[in-house]
Amino acid sequence: MTAQGRIVWVSGPAVRADGMSDAKMYETVTVGNSKLVGEVIRLTGDVAFIQVYESTSGLKPGEPVIGTGNPLSVVLGPGIIGQLYDGIQRPLKELSKASGSFIGRGITTTPVDMIKKYHFIPTAKNGDEVLPGNVIGTVQETDLIEHSIMVPPNHPGGKISNLVSEGDYNLETELATVQKDGQNVPLKMYHKWPVRKPRPYLKRYDATVPLLTGQRVIDTFFPIAKGGTGSIPGAFGTGKTVTLHQIAKWADSQVVVYIGCGERGNEMTEVLVEFPHLKDPRSGKPLMDRTVLVANTSNMPVAAREASIYTGVTIAEYYRDMGKDVVLVADSTSRWAEALREMSGRLEEMPAEEGYPSYLASRLAEFYERAGRVRAAGSPDRDGSVTLIGAVSPSGGDFTEPVTTHTMRFIKTFWALDAKLAYSRHYPSINWMNSYSGYLGDIAKWWSENISPEWFTIRNEAYGILQREDTLKEIVKLLGPDALPDEEKLILEIARMVKIGLLQQNSFDDVDTYCSPEKQFKLLKLIVDFYKLGQQSLKEGTSLSSIRQLPVVTLLLKARMDIKDNEMPKLDKLENDMKEQFKNISGVKVTN
Amino acid sequence: MTTAGGVQYSKISEIKGPLVVVDGVDNAAFDELVEIETNEGERRLGKVLEVGNGKAIVQVFEGTTGLSISGTNAKFVGKVMEMPVSKEVLGRVFDGLGRPKDGLPDPIADKFIDINGEPMNPEQREYPKDFIQTGVSVIDGLITLVRGQKLPIFSGSGMSHNLLAAQIARQATVVGTNDEFAVVFAAIGVQYSEAEYFRRSLEESGALKRSVLFLNTADDPAIERIITPRVALTVAEYLAFELGMHVLVILTDMTNYAEALREISAAREEVPGRKGYPGYLYTDLSTLYERAGKLNGRNGSVTQVPILSMPSDDITHPIPDLTGYITEGQIVVGRDLFRQGVYPPINILMSLSRLMKDGIGKGSTREDHAEIANQVYDAYSRSQEVRALAGIVGKAGLTDIDLKYMDVGDVFEKEFLTQATDENRTIEETLNILWKIVSKLPKNELTKIKDKYVEQYYQGK
Amino acid sequence: MTTNLALEGTIDKILKNTENSILSSLKISLDDSKHNLDDSVTKLESEYDKIISDGKKEADKLEKQIVGGSDIEARNKQLLALEAAVNRVFTTALEQITNSARNSEYANLIKSLLEESTKILGTTQVKVFTNAKDKDVVKSSLSNFAGSELSSKTIDCIGGVKIESKDGAMKFDNTIDAKIDRLKPLIRKEIASKFGVKQ
Repeated sequence: MTAQGRIVWVSGPAVRADGMSDAKMYETVTVGNSKLVGEVIRLTGDVAFIQVYESTSGLKPGEPVIGTGNPLSVVLGPGIIGQLYDGIQRPLKELSKASGSFIGRGITTTPVDMIKKYHFIPTAKNGDEVLPGNVIGTVQETDLIEHSIMVPPNHPGGKISNLVSEGDYNLETELATVQKDGQNVPLKMYHKWPVRKPRPYLKRYDATVPLLTGQRVIDTFFPIAKGGTGSIPGAFGTGKTVTLHQIAKWADSQVVVYIGCGERGNEMTEVLVEFPHLKDPRSGKPLMDRTVLVANTSNMPVAAREASIYTGVTIAEYYRDMGKDVVLVADSTSRWAEALREMSGRLEEMPAEEGYPSYLASRLAEFYERAGRVRAAGSPDRDGSVTLIGAVSPSGGDFTEPVTTHTMRFIKTFWALDAKLAYSRHYPSINWMNSYSGYLGDIAKWWSENISPEWFTIRNEAYGILQREDTLKEIVKLLGPDALPDEEKLILEIARMVKIGLLQQNSFDDVDTYCSPEKQFKLLKLIVDFYKLGQQSLKEGTSLSSIRQLPVVTLLLKARMDIKDNEMPKLDKLENDMKEQFKNISGVKVTN
Repeated sequence: MTTAGGVQYSKISEIKGPLVVVDGVDNAAFDELVEIETNEGERRLGKVLEVGNGKAIVQVFEGTTGLSISGTNAKFVGKVMEMPVSKEVLGRVFDGLGRPKDGLPDPIADKFIDINGEPMNPEQREYPKDFIQTGVSVIDGLITLVRGQKLPIFSGSGMSHNLLAAQIARQATVVGTNDEFAVVFAAIGVQYSEAEYFRRSLEESGALKRSVLFLNTADDPAIERIITPRVALTVAEYLAFELGMHVLVILTDMTNYAEALREISAAREEVPGRKGYPGYLYTDLSTLYERAGKLNGRNGSVTQVPILSMPSDDITHPIPDLTGYITEGQIVVGRDLFRQGVYPPINILMSLSRLMKDGIGKGSTREDHAEIANQVYDAYSRSQEVRALAGIVGKAGLTDIDLKYMDVGDVFEKEFLTQATDENRTIEETLNILWKIVSKLPKNELTKIKDKYVEQYYQGK
Repeated sequence: MTTNLALEGTIDKILKNTENSILSSLKISLDDSKHNLDDSVTKLESEYDKIISDGKKEADKLEKQIVGGSDIEARNKQLLALEAAVNRVFTTALEQITNSARNSEYANLIKSLLEESTKILGTTQVKVFTNAKDKDVVKSSLSNFAGSELSSKTIDCIGGVKIESKDGAMKFDNTIDAKIDRLKPLIRKEIASKFGVKQ
């Protein structure tokens, strides 16, 4: 029995309807004569409080509200990759077919193409006993994505019969029948899953493998692990979006879910225009072949913004269950929190700090808890991960505001963007003093095994230099640079080299936009070696200015752009040149 | 939306701030246009903010001064507020609600369009990448504006932002196309003299015939300011997407808009966000700013230059802050430069055009544009550091190269930044001055420019 | 002699040196002035170009101003003329309605106006107002609307009715004046297009 009520009150995205005693919490409903999509978020007596995912302009009391009996769900199956969805998984391309350049209302579409045929290769056999999560076959979704067809987590499982043979089928085809307790349950290429409910898995692992993003300041200094959580807060103009785009482009994951949550329309367009032309550095295939976009731009209805985060993370979990590493980027969780605040205000709930509802923290915690590296349910064994990266847009760039402070409690990597760095055109403007990574110790093993056993030491030495510089700068500010002894001036010089040669990265430069872990380590080591040679040279009486003027300095600073990932021997040569040049100047005494 | 409307209700239960609460209403829609009529026959406009349980909360654009509980009727018109549009709106002056203010009749409408607009489908947007030449060096050279961008001017009280906006409106052209260009100007709570300066400036440059003006001046009703940018953008969208024109929209001053919004929010007793502004200020602003853009398969474009005065020059104040999160960059007017008498007093280090990278270069401005701009940013930033250092150690403590950077700062401010209000520089002129600036430095300092451009453009030995 | 010779030699040498230095300084200043001349020529050229281009910019500006101004003036006159014409059409039409015969067709009109307005108010328990001229036609139609009554007060209008709920809380104006008012923008467009105004 689905609820059938009438609107009694409308204010912005909030609607109250009576006659709704049959409605369930978080059930989707259609609202009004124009059949807008809404979701029940509170029930009082027979009155349901509904958040509406479309513009309510023109809605009147008295119009009908009809329950669907289902919670807000997404359709999971092949055809998701490469799509641009709105916050409730309506493909924006399909919407434009119905309403043109501007988004109309009350349009129903299917999230994936139900008619398109995929080549299905069964991996199960008739007579197999299957459990929820078991893979029964695969289809090639895009050049990059082999899509496992799994028994849905909410499926009873049982004995397979009528399994189709290898061939081309569409999503509505019944691929197999599963018998359980005398009941026949069909299996198709897709199933539905409620967005607010995390998908189950078998067990969770510690996050020990780094997610490589090709961004030096991230990978080398403040790494994030596969299945980890990270947050990137920054005032406007600090390059948040560019950094997130860089992660979405270059992260070594198989699937990227990019959520534009209450952000600019043109940014989504940029991704749409750019990604099909960019090649994945590992496979050489277009990046769009592994990307899903969820766009609920700032001017689109605010309630759907709240839902977009859940829509995105559910899609991410689905691909995780196939054994893939998935990165989810949410830009920006602050706008999501604002949507929460707006609905809370209309519900007339008692506000906590800055008007945000008191459950803001628990909602954030629930969201970030959906990250993780897991063993998926069912057979065969599959390990996958969901890495969650959320942008935060603190008002006034103030990191003590509620969304930033609460987020910091639930994430382990914190990339603090800094307006001052951005003003001086230091990009990415990740502040090395305020940022941190809780994964450093966990992923050091990976670097040690795969890149160099020295990695952890060298990384810490370089970071130590940056920390020293930070204190020395205070002295310089007060007394001028001449107050420092040469030994300390050298530290300032090395810190400058770390900043220009390593931390800065030009995302618009063809070479510099992505940096392999090998090159990252080598660049880092070269600078740290330079420091050691410099110290020694100073001790031997060489003047600081002659160290500064070594020809190798400029080359070191430009190596990030001049030397490609596959030209590592050039870096070795640079190392030899450096040693040679130091050899040549040592012994030159200071003549005063 | 059109529903059977037109019923007049006379049971007013409450009047507070800009709001009128009407009782016994059983046939009104959310967002519906309302005509408030007094017994004396005076008419005002409003819209439904909340409806239900027999009550409708109506926001009155012209304010509630003089309204009484017994002598007020509210007519629910049966449609949302619409703006009549046609090509003939060009060259016209309207009030803040879109009614003629120039003594001429109502425009004969080609269409009536819901002033709230609809969100552009991001999938249907065309990524903006066409250069607009404003003739103002600092903008064209370093904070380039492109068609379909929203690039606000963050200023402070009393500074020369309106001069600059007027100059942009007069001089802006789209290079390399014969498409028509139009200016839509919305004055939101600005002084009469400022609005008049703008009108006259357009008139004297002959640009009035390609302009539409919406004027809500400081003495006009405050709540009307909620509507002014919306009618202006509705006209802009029509000119752009129906008639294929490139439309530059100037909205000044958005701070007054946000204050009107705060007033309504306070009257509704909503839980406030920061500094008393409503929690939905970001969303509300985005429904204006996001109306800039280009669309696939359509000729025109809507480019926005909103102007806002930052209270106490504070860029972290909610209005500039939330604006900056929505717009594609910002042009920041600097108090220091303004005090020194520099016009336009733009602080380039705090300014940014996010879409610049796609709007410049070979085929639109010049191949060396991105690199020379980068180098100048870098050099000017260094020159500021050197100036600060000179403040501590004195000029004598500076190295030769430091002194050259000091020169860069001077040439930048005196020859590049400084420009007369009627001086319209071509992009070539602008780029050449940029080269003149970096040519104060030895060639080996130009690390951000390819050698071949240095060979070609470097001025001097 | 030797002394003299030596002296001569010295003098010669000095003369030669002086000559050289004079010559070279002459050459330098010559070069300099040549250089300056060259410079000033280019400078002059660029000044000249600037004067020309400034002049051209100025002329362009003036032209834009004059053309723009007169364009708009002409257009505005046209708008006013059009509006006058439209108003004339309106006035004539309204006069015709005012003077039209109150026949059976008109009674049907009144009836439909009443139907429409009671439907919108959601009740027939209404007070009905009309003008003196239409009073009889309205009165005869009211029998179809249970609970309705005709107000003794007449209103000033061309024709049609205005109704009000009994408690006076809801009103609906369905006079011909109000109807035309609602349709006016559309009618104006219609009339304007008849005058041949392109949109």
